[in-house]
Formats: sequence, C-alpha cells, structure tokens
Amino acid sequence: MWYTIYYMVYLDYAATTPLLKEVMEAMHDAEKRFFANASALHTPGHLALNEIEDCRELLSELVGCEPDEIIFTSGASEANNTVVRTFEGHVIETSPLEHHSIIEAARVYRGDKLPKLYSYMLANNETGEILELPKPEEGAFLHSDLTQVLGKLPIDVKKLGLDYATFSAHKIGGPIGVGALYVRKGAPLKPLIIGGNQEKKRRSGTYNTIGIIGFKAALLHVKKYKTWQEYDNRVRKLRDALARRILEEVPGSSLNTDIAPGRSLPNILNMSFEAAEGESIQLYLDAGGVIVSTGSACAAGDIKPSHVLMAKTGDAEVAHSSIRFSFGIENNEADVEYVMKVLPPIIDKLQKISTIVRKK
Amino acid sequence: MNSEGRDWAYSEKVKDHFLNPRNYLMGDESLFEYDAVGIVGNPVCGDQMKMYLKVGRRENGVEYVQNLRWKTYGCASAIASTSALSEMAKDKTLDDALKITAKDVDEYLGNLPKHKFHCSVLGHDALREAISNYRNETKGQSEVE
Repeated sequence: MWYTIYYMVYLDYAATTPLLKEVMEAMHDAEKRFFANASALHTPGHLALNEIEDCRELLSELVGCEPDEIIFTSGASEANNTVVRTFEGHVIETSPLEHHSIIEAARVYRGDKLPKLYSYMLANNETGEILELPKPEEGAFLHSDLTQVLGKLPIDVKKLGLDYATFSAHKIGGPIGVGALYVRKGAPLKPLIIGGNQEKKRRSGTYNTIGIIGFKAALLHVKKYKTWQEYDNRVRKLRDALARRILEEVPGSSLNTDIAPGRSLPNILNMSFEAAEGESIQLYLDAGGVIVSTGSACAAGDIKPSHVLMAKTGDAEVAHSSIRFSFGIENNEADVEYVMKVLPPIIDKLQKISTIVRKK
Repeated sequence: MNSEGRDWAYSEKVKDHFLNPRNYLMGDESLFEYDAVGIVGNPVCGDQMKMYLKVGRRENGVEYVQNLRWKTYGCASAIASTSALSEMAKDKTLDDALKITAKDVDEYLGNLPKHKFHCSVLGHDALREAISNYRNETKGQSEVE
C-alpha cells in the first residue's frame, strides 16, 4: 500500500545505478554460501576470502594494476578520505570541481609540508566533463577519483601516472557500501581505520564479503560486455538525442555539458532551464515518472547551489535551474521519448509562474 | 511524522499545493487586475516570490483581501507555501492578513522540513509588502474620503 506503481524512467545513474540482475543473484547466493568471516582460518572463512581475492584480481585487471595494489573500502568517500588524510599536514592541491569528500577532507587535513598531493578527478560527476590530470613534479603524488569513469571509459592507472585512484561499486550496477582504493606499490598510506589488520593492515574492519561479491559480479559485467563500448555507442546516442531535442523543443534551455565526443562522459547531460528552479523541475518530473537530480541548493538542503556549476559558470541562477540527466545501460529510445512528453509542459508552467521574466 | 512509508520528501498537503498550486498568476501580469505588489527573495538565493493584491471594501468600510495572485521562482516548498498563504489570506481583512506568520503557513501545510523553513516560507513577507505598498499608495486618498 505504500508504493505507487507507476511508469518510471530512471535517469539518475550517476548518483546510483540499480543493481544488475547478476549482482542480485550473486549477492543472494553469497548470503547463504559466503557468510563466514573472511579472516578466519576455517574452511567457510577461506572460501569467503577466495571470493574477495577474485574480486581484487578482477578489478586490478580492469584498471591495469597489481591485485596487491587494491584495497577494499566502504565506498568512494572513504577511499578519498584515506588518501587525503595520508597527506595530513602536507600541501594538498585539488580543484573546485572535486567531490565534497575530497574538498572537505583537504580543507581539514592540508598543511604546508612536502611532498605534495594532487587530487584531481578524471571526469566530473555533475557535468560529466572529462578533465585533464596535472603533471606532478618529481616526488609529488597524484590521486584521481575515478568513481564516474569505471565502466564508462577504459582505465589504465599506470598510463594515467596515478599513485592513488578511487572506485565505487554502486555506479556500475553493484551495491552501495563497497568501494576500492588503488595504491601504487611504494606510495605511502595511513590507514583510516585501524584494528584487526585486514587488507594487509591498510584498512581494518571485517571484510564486507557479500558486498564485495556484488562488486565482483558488476565488474564481471563490465569486463564481459566491455561496457565502455556500449556507453560510447548506444548510450551516447540516447544522451545526445535528448540534448538536441530539449534544445530544440524547450525554450530557455541550455547545455552545461559539452556533448562533443571526448569532452564528457557519454552518459551525463547537465542542462539549465531559464526561470525555472531545479528542485521544482526535479519533483514535477518525479511526479511525472522521470527521475533526475539537480544542482539547485534546495534539493541538497544546502544554502548554496552546486559548487561545480558555480565554479564552471559563476552564475547562481544557472546552478539553481540545473538538471542532471544521467543514463545507464538499461535506458532506451522510449525513455527519451517519454522525457520529451513530460518535460516541456513542466518547464513551460514553471517559467510562466516564475518571477523571472525570460530574456527573449 | 517520520518519513517511513512515505514516497515523497514533503507532507501530502505540501505535495498537493506544489502539484496543484492555487491562485498563481500564469504568464503576463497584466492578466490580473491588482492594486499593489510585494516582492521578496532573490533568484540568486534560489527563491523569489511576488504577490499581487486586489483590495476590496466591506460594507462597514473595512478593507480586505478580495483577491490575490502570486508568482514564484523557487523550490517545491516555496511554491507550496506561497500557494497555501494565498488560500489563507483570501477574504481576510488587511489587518488580519498582516498577522499571518511563517509558522502559520508551516502549520497549515503540516510542517515543512526544518532546513526548508527559513529559505522558502517567504510569501507572507511578500504579502505584507504588498499591503504596505497599497496603504502607502492610498494614504492620501482615504484621508480625502
């Protein structure tokens, strides 16, 4: 009785993806078979540990590092915090486009000691923009938050010259609560959680076996289907079609994402709608069965709108009026059609009741 | 009320006023005949409300909110609270309409999330400004009468 069943077009994949069917099956199976503590020496414990090591190997293969260079965490925020805190008291350079788990951690931990840490994401979560990584000087360290990139582009952490990289399971069809940190052999690491010496003393806490098995199933999907190819072809077409149709059919719409090939992840489209406020657009779309996110301050329970759009545009109205459509592999042409049925009258209504008079 | 079992971030009444707002002014302001306007907020902060007031006079000479319309640039609770205020203020004497507070609107709507309260419940200020503008504009006239 609590749920209203309605037609839903989910376009908030950059926030969280639905679990893949094979992930659900793997986790359900794991609940029965791999419940034991993976640190235990007994057989059930060892079987659970094998699953974890399989996942470690798979991820290392997909991102081009050694299995030993991967540490499992509770998610991307923990991985980001761990790296930044390792450089407590050191010079930490980041960009204003970073995730809050980098910006806020850097604010707390940065100092003036050397060597220096650079933390720059390869692709932005709000606009999808693909960014250039800095070239650190000799002796400095480079971290990149690759949360949005995994599965969307091929990754080689060695070629990217990274000392650290962050990954997350719930952006690729895996569960929330599992992430991973790549730490180049020889790079310093200060554990954020100390205790039982799991992860070779680099991250304590009982292994999240079932979550990691879910991560593994999602990574297997990435590997099997080379999902970055599907994103580059089919998903990009959907994203671009929606962008073109909105620009053509919705007055006052503008792009915050550069959709030219190579400039952004193929699945993210950020747009602003002049004179219409983002949270209202989001919730009217929600009522109409279209699920998106917004850079409006209101939606986040914040005073300030999206720090990313503010850094990119410097225009609070653009940020307050922004909507992010983020696609996944489950989306299809019918979803784009449906959005174009629901969205234009919503924007029209909000623009007509707005205090802001649109510039012609 | 806790949010468990609800499928919406706001109360049912907020949802209703957001999805079916009352007394809004669609399109050009010349479509509504009004005596005074009040405006509060700033689009840069994410919320702005404009209230258009039509004043009537009862047989005993008391002035009242005969009709009103509003425009809002803002989030769901801004739209809902302005809509709710417009319902609450209608037919009230100007003196009574001036007494409506943000808390009254909040209670009428079954309570907004706390972080929404201060930034989005601004409609009563717009109405107060409209009433004050009306009184300033008509000061001379009523003395003549």
